[in-house]
Amino acid sequence: MPGPTGDKMLRVDMTKQTTELVDFPAAWTLLGGRALSARILCDECDPTCDPLGPDNLLVLAPGVLSGSAAPTSGRLSVGGKSPLTGGIKEANTGGQPGQHLMKLGIRAIVVTGQPADKEARFGLEVSADGARLIKADAHKMKRNYQLCLDLHGAYPKTASFISCGPAGEMRLTGASVATTDQDNRYPARHAARGGLGAVMGSKGLKFVMVDPGRAGVRQPADRAGFGKLCKGYTKDYQAGPQMFQFGTSAVVPMANQLNTFVYKNRVEGQSPDVQNLDGARIVESFEERGGAMHNCMTGCIVKCSNVVHDAQGEYKTSALEFETLTLLGSNCAVQSWEDVADMDRLCDELGLDTIETGAALAVYMDAGKMDWGDAFAMKKLLGEIDRGSEVGRAIGNGAVATGKLTGHHRVPHAKGQSIPAWDPRPLKATGVTYCTSPMGADHTAGLVVNPGLKPEQYVWESQKSQIVNAVCDSSGFCQFLQPTLDDIRNFYSAMYGEEVTREEIHDQGWACLNDEWEFNRRAGLTAADDSLSEPLRKDPIAGQVFDVPADVVKQMYTRLPAQDDLFVTKASG
Amino acid sequence: MPRVVIPPPYRGPTDGAAELEVEATKVRGCLEAVERKHPGFLALMLDDDGQLRRFATLFLNGDKLTKDVLAQPVTAGDSLEIISSVAGG
Repeated sequence: MPGPTGDKMLRVDMTKQTTELVDFPAAWTLLGGRALSARILCDECDPTCDPLGPDNLLVLAPGVLSGSAAPTSGRLSVGGKSPLTGGIKEANTGGQPGQHLMKLGIRAIVVTGQPADKEARFGLEVSADGARLIKADAHKMKRNYQLCLDLHGAYPKTASFISCGPAGEMRLTGASVATTDQDNRYPARHAARGGLGAVMGSKGLKFVMVDPGRAGVRQPADRAGFGKLCKGYTKDYQAGPQMFQFGTSAVVPMANQLNTFVYKNRVEGQSPDVQNLDGARIVESFEERGGAMHNCMTGCIVKCSNVVHDAQGEYKTSALEFETLTLLGSNCAVQSWEDVADMDRLCDELGLDTIETGAALAVYMDAGKMDWGDAFAMKKLLGEIDRGSEVGRAIGNGAVATGKLTGHHRVPHAKGQSIPAWDPRPLKATGVTYCTSPMGADHTAGLVVNPGLKPEQYVWESQKSQIVNAVCDSSGFCQFLQPTLDDIRNFYSAMYGEEVTREEIHDQGWACLNDEWEFNRRAGLTAADDSLSEPLRKDPIAGQVFDVPADVVKQMYTRLPAQDDLFVTKASG
Repeated sequence: MPRVVIPPPYRGPTDGAAELEVEATKVRGCLEAVERKHPGFLALMLDDDGQLRRFATLFLNGDKLTKDVLAQPVTAGDSLEIISSVAGG
């Protein structure tokens, strides 16, 4: 295929302490991000391995279009075997490293092995001059913001960073991988789900520095066609409703109406504190405190990230998302968005998934170990996690671990991963996604917010969304840009100068899912794992339980004939 | 008759219906006509004071309605589209 040439893959062996740049296989030209990570893991990782042992891989893979002029296309996939689900995992994040890696022509970093000394820490430096591992013991157990502040002083201003916080170093299964954003290079973007921060920590890899130097954007094969696409797409987007101009937190009141702003460990679907937790309050704070909407990566036209300041006008966190406001907020009966902002910052510092952590805290409260809504106690407990207390470790290991510690029965999850905000009881097609996605309960794998579907529509709607999101997460496009399969294949066609057909793009999404399902099958997951935990099947909210029969759920594994609406369905997660 | 286009999140009360033709001369009348056919719909669109909810955005024949939204006139053949996007983050 014509288009960008000379792409490489960076192999890092933490056991031998070596780095090697190898040619990127030509046959994989249209594989990026999630699909590339899945293919590498299927080919090179023993699915039965210990996810925190030397045989697991950590894959850092930008999307096919990252580093180009395509709008909002710099997403980075982080992949590996999940210590939380025991299956394959891809977590997707914004920020700058995805753009920077692709500007250097690096399609993936594949990290294998483990240092002999488990207490040793390393950094990986990547630039136009090559790659090398350096000792980073001085950064051991640093929280993410302090780490990045120190790294800023040591590296050029053009550099971006990928890091794991103390939670990853402690190998907690709720640990995230942080990436820095474009404005202040804060570590505020997270590949959060599935415990991949623990995989990074298990390899002794504290940070990756990516410096593109003066490298320019990737040049497409069809420059005129690609440029026309970029301009047209941007113009159309900006002329449209721009539904995320105030961030995902603006979704709060609608979610509350749909009974999916879950409350008190998901026993109810609506919160009495919805007004205080509404993202509109955050936007209102901008005028007095500063803060604003911004874009987390260069070339983003969505600008969904809210930069949140405290009462003194100082930066506190970004972005404070709908999922975080739900899981650390209403699900724990917290009444104020400002308390949630404090906890969001704490999770970003520690390198923890806010969904998993919020769900764990709600289980802890539901077990009677902490008062509902006690934000002070929540922050105190979060602050103790990197001191290694038993309770702190359980919270950092997620909701299932917290349920085991407390002996509490009500733990909403799928494949060991906590349910995100969007609840599978009113939204049953999303529940089918949680059952069948190779990722466990992950809304970004296939979100269908349509309470009016008929039962016979659940599987197709979920399959359609899972395919579109798999392709989107392979392209580098952000799901909030809401590209369709037609959009993505048109960009691919112009980038590489050969038409990508509807059939080919459909094949690509289905192949990605099949690679991931095959990995999970070989890892030992079975049909029995394709279900939601008991509270979701037996405890109703708004009169509904998740009651889609197992024989319907398993229809997901049959590729349904493509209908035209597949290709114009927007990514949504 | 004007046509009301309903996005997926609001299709619970409409039993999945994505479009409805209604008899109305103003935007508010369109929404109320949907309510008559599908009770529960209007509560998703209007607050307790009868005003359009902040997160509901309406487009009339492709143009975003920004002022006096509910009082805007509609005529036969018009397309009133409710826009709603969802995301988690």
